[in-house]
Amino acid sequence: MRVVAMIMAGGEGTRLSVLSEKRAKPSVPFAGKFRIIDFTLSNCVNSGIFDVAVLTQYRPHSLNAHIGNGKPWDLDRANGGVQLLQPYQGRRDESWYKGTADAVYQNLNYIRERRADLVLVLSGDHIYKMNYAEMIEFHQQKRADMTVAVMHVPLEETDRFGIMTVDEDQRVIEFTEKPKNRDKGTLASMGIYLFNVDTLIKRLSENGEGSPRIDFGKHVIPAMIGRDAVYAFPFQGYWVDVGTIQSYWETSMDLLNPDNTLNLYDTDWIIHTRSEERPPAKLGPQARVSRSLICNGCIVRGTVEHSVLSPGVYVSPGAVVRDSVVMNDTWIGPGAVLDRVIVDKNVVVGAGVRLGCGDDITPNREQPDKLTTGITIVGKGAHIPPNIRIGRNVVINADRDEEDFPAGDVKSGETI
Amino acid sequence: MLRTFAMILAGGESPALSVLTAERSEAAVPFAGKYRIIDFTLSNCVNSGIYNVGVLTQYRPRSLHEHIGVGKPWDLDRRIGGVRVLHPYLTSEGGAWQRGNADALRANLDIIAEQKVDTVLVLAGDHVYKMDYRPMLQLHEDLDADLTLAVHSVSPHEAHRYGIVSVDADGIVTQFEEKPRRPRSSLASMGIYVFRKNFLMEVLANGDEQNIGRDLMPKLVQQTSVVSYHFQGYWADVGTVQAYYEANMALLVETPALDLYDPEWVIHTKSEERPAAEIGEHARVDGNLLCDGCRIYGTVARSIIAPGVVVSEGAVVRDSILLSATVVEPGAVVDRCIVDKEVVIGSDAVVGDGEDNTPNQRAPDLLNTGLTLVGRSAHIPPNVRVGRNVVIRPRVTTAAFGGQTVVASGATITR
Repeated sequence: MRVVAMIMAGGEGTRLSVLSEKRAKPSVPFAGKFRIIDFTLSNCVNSGIFDVAVLTQYRPHSLNAHIGNGKPWDLDRANGGVQLLQPYQGRRDESWYKGTADAVYQNLNYIRERRADLVLVLSGDHIYKMNYAEMIEFHQQKRADMTVAVMHVPLEETDRFGIMTVDEDQRVIEFTEKPKNRDKGTLASMGIYLFNVDTLIKRLSENGEGSPRIDFGKHVIPAMIGRDAVYAFPFQGYWVDVGTIQSYWETSMDLLNPDNTLNLYDTDWIIHTRSEERPPAKLGPQARVSRSLICNGCIVRGTVEHSVLSPGVYVSPGAVVRDSVVMNDTWIGPGAVLDRVIVDKNVVVGAGVRLGCGDDITPNREQPDKLTTGITIVGKGAHIPPNIRIGRNVVINADRDEEDFPAGDVKSGETI
Repeated sequence: MLRTFAMILAGGESPALSVLTAERSEAAVPFAGKYRIIDFTLSNCVNSGIYNVGVLTQYRPRSLHEHIGVGKPWDLDRRIGGVRVLHPYLTSEGGAWQRGNADALRANLDIIAEQKVDTVLVLAGDHVYKMDYRPMLQLHEDLDADLTLAVHSVSPHEAHRYGIVSVDADGIVTQFEEKPRRPRSSLASMGIYVFRKNFLMEVLANGDEQNIGRDLMPKLVQQTSVVSYHFQGYWADVGTVQAYYEANMALLVETPALDLYDPEWVIHTKSEERPAAEIGEHARVDGNLLCDGCRIYGTVARSIIAPGVVVSEGAVVRDSILLSATVVEPGAVVDRCIVDKEVVIGSDAVVGDGEDNTPNQRAPDLLNTGLTLVGRSAHIPPNVRVGRNVVIRPRVTTAAFGGQTVVASGATITR
């Protein structure tokens, strides 16, 4: 039984705002030292799947550099291993990937070359630990043509998901994308699909008029129910799609909750990543740190509460970081106060800056649908001038320099 | 630059490191939480552009071999050059264990002969320092020397521990005395030698000296002009428990002499993949080095915490070094201790207790400053009180304590 995993990593992730401005969503840092895609990649190798393709499209440089030859995941193999599949130009046809199913369709050659029996379609932007071997076993037991992983979600949230209705044998009898009525059950698709290779090739090749095969969730799966043996594999455990700034922040803060079920310290299911070599985190004699994750290479001389610090962050004496996520090599000046902010890499926060201050939570004016809950975001490489006060729901775009800031304070909801 | 083959001497036992070298060679002893002592020498080599390295092992090499592997962390997994581990072996004439570091070099004469190099850089695998070898090699080349040795100023009170060198106005070594009782200078040999390859081969083939410092150097100083290279940076020989403890603790000051955070001179090591350090809600952590994968729920002050260590709620760790995956259970206290890997300290136990500073009975010269040592994978039972200068040997089980609730200062607990 040969299994090939196809990880969808081409999406732009516009709802992640400046975090995905310069990188694809699967490449966004998470839990300090990881990237979001590390979870899916590690699940593959921990499940014994060593034929892994990563399908990229949007801003792939960061992701390509991260995956490289796949060494951290033991995917640098003579036979199989990781392969990056980007859209390419052919003699007869050329196109960008129009959707998930189209991306797989354009790479059917890879699947044939690897002589796969089963194709596991995964998403590169979910945070979870899952043993795919169990799903494969379920698929074989049910003699399914296709199996989709599902999990129970609260009834009031069913309108955010694709809901699967199953019979007593777990066979899917109905699929409803984001149902308005709450009568379809609570089994939500996790966007994890396991196909028999023949079924996959057959269904993707039926590209008739009026039945496009662009997206698995929208087109391919609904068309298969009733015609093919589609089963739902129930998953229990921690699973999050970090699609929005709010969910990214909440998921990060979740890591600090002692009752969190996503155990990163489990030596039987290690999440692998490409780490730079960094010395241990150094906490100065003045440091006050509680309920936080601190990575190697950090130097903390101030106060850090309920926050996640990536490698190489420097917190100066007198600075306070609270309810925040701070990424690699960001420098936080003396006396600066950060409250509910997400700060990307290589940012310089000047001395005495108040970042995320006040009670005014005016939604961001340019992105009112994305930033309403008071989280301020700072893009990669921005330099914030000293002693400025910056409100909530503010977006500071990447590489902004001190002269890009107005003379006075930055009110809630502004964008720099 | 001269083509150079580096030979790192990593076979020594270093009994003065007590339980730390009970199951590994000194070169493989962890330092600053996540490193091994040999990482400094290996990183100095590659950071100096030397990618052809031999590591000479003999005493308890398994941990070191596993650490070095194919040399990936140092980019030493190469087709040309790279790192190779050189261990004693049997020959049809019998073969023998190496009786000293000069003997070890002699046993590898064939490897040295094979190298297409001009010079052989002989290094110690048990020193902690950051050094660019290139200026030293340049000096060696400029003066067309047979032998250049690196020297470092040490405290006159410590000079008797080292090979002491006297130099003339031109920097030529006039005298070399190994561990002299009355040192004539405070310039110590760092155990770093640049040999012209042919000179080294001749010297080794025509002699039977066992030790470079004791036997070989005093002779060579008379035989040829030995050049001294005065190194001014940080350098520490951590060959005793006290020196090891002090060198670790010195990393906790505001601006340590040994800067591990310099991106221009990264110290590479083989790291396990571990998530971020987790610091709990009621934890207090000031003045520490914390490595990835540790979880702190109690109080940790002025300590070095290696990867994967767990300090439970209500536990207190002060002025101590805790190596990988050690667990301190709730309510336990660890004070001025060096605790090796995978140790379990039972709940409400106190290790490093009281004011009684009786030296260790078995090693009074070595352990008399109040440090208590716990060997690898030892289990300390709950509620027990362990005094100072105590040695708990590796893999001691709770049964070895025989139900006693107090271990007096100076005692040793064995299996």
